[in-house]
Amino acid sequence: MAVDEAITKARGEGRVPDTLRFYMWKPSAVTLGYFLSVEDEVNLEALKGFGFCLNRRISGGGAVLNSEKGEITYSVILKEDDPRVSTDPVESYHLLCQGIVEALDVLGVKAEFKPINDIIVAGKKISGNAQIRRYGAVLHHGTLLVDFDAREMFGVLKISKEKLSDKMIQQAEDRVTTIRRLLGRQISFPEVRDALEEGYRKALDAELIEGELTPYEEELVKQFRTRYASREWIYRR
Amino acid sequence: MKKFEYKVPGGKLLRAKVEAEDGKIRFLQLTGDFFMEPETDLEELEVRLIGSRAEPALIEVAVKGFFAGKKTMIAGAAPADFAYVINQALKA
Repeated sequence: MAVDEAITKARGEGRVPDTLRFYMWKPSAVTLGYFLSVEDEVNLEALKGFGFCLNRRISGGGAVLNSEKGEITYSVILKEDDPRVSTDPVESYHLLCQGIVEALDVLGVKAEFKPINDIIVAGKKISGNAQIRRYGAVLHHGTLLVDFDAREMFGVLKISKEKLSDKMIQQAEDRVTTIRRLLGRQISFPEVRDALEEGYRKALDAELIEGELTPYEEELVKQFRTRYASREWIYRR
Repeated sequence: MKKFEYKVPGGKLLRAKVEAEDGKIRFLQLTGDFFMEPETDLEELEVRLIGSRAEPALIEVAVKGFFAGKKTMIAGAAPADFAYVINQALKA
């Protein structure tokens, strides 16, 4: 999260180019949207039991389990005044979700954008997204489900007040899908990443050049990480 | 503490936790998976409503008036939804 914010600040200041970032989590972590409360969303005992971490984003939206086993997180950072980006939230989500829709198309999966911030395949959610405009840049980040463990996801996320029962897992599981399930085969993370690159190349008509964080961004990461790791930030609601 | 949860049709989930004393709001927390920018506007709204009379019509006017004076971007909910969830929580 600190890296996303660092790139956003550096991009807004014009010190780095538009950026597409892919990352994964280790250990797995629950990430809360800015306006969510910990007690409403997270089963802290289960979180501890699994050895997962808890984070809060600067962007709004829902709670996500960023599982080290089955999920790819991505961020797209553009200047806020980029002519491709609409000031209308839904249009802006549509454009920046299109990279994921295109990526899934590369993999042979027909997906569609579902306003406000989801991508669905045959009615089931496969990707959730969040955006924020800050520092003169727009940060769009999201999660793409490659595979998932229902017991983990619905153990740590409070989908319902009902106790975790097999019946509940079945119902919640029906609302989401994964790339592995849709393709009916194992798929490696590099294969998904390559598809995402291709998807965003098409969606944004962009040339992608591989790079690393600049020393300035690294410095910002150090600065922001203290805030993101603080109890005050994570438990602010 | 009274609570109310509301899923905006076609939008996001809003929750209100509220405490009233002597007919006035003394605690208010709004949460949910909506989007709002600047994000500080939500905290400002909560602070603004503390001490307000816990009456639905007044709450509605106060919430709508708060957002009318601002350029807040909200996705997944409207000012009236925030007023609604607070008023429902007060009735809970």
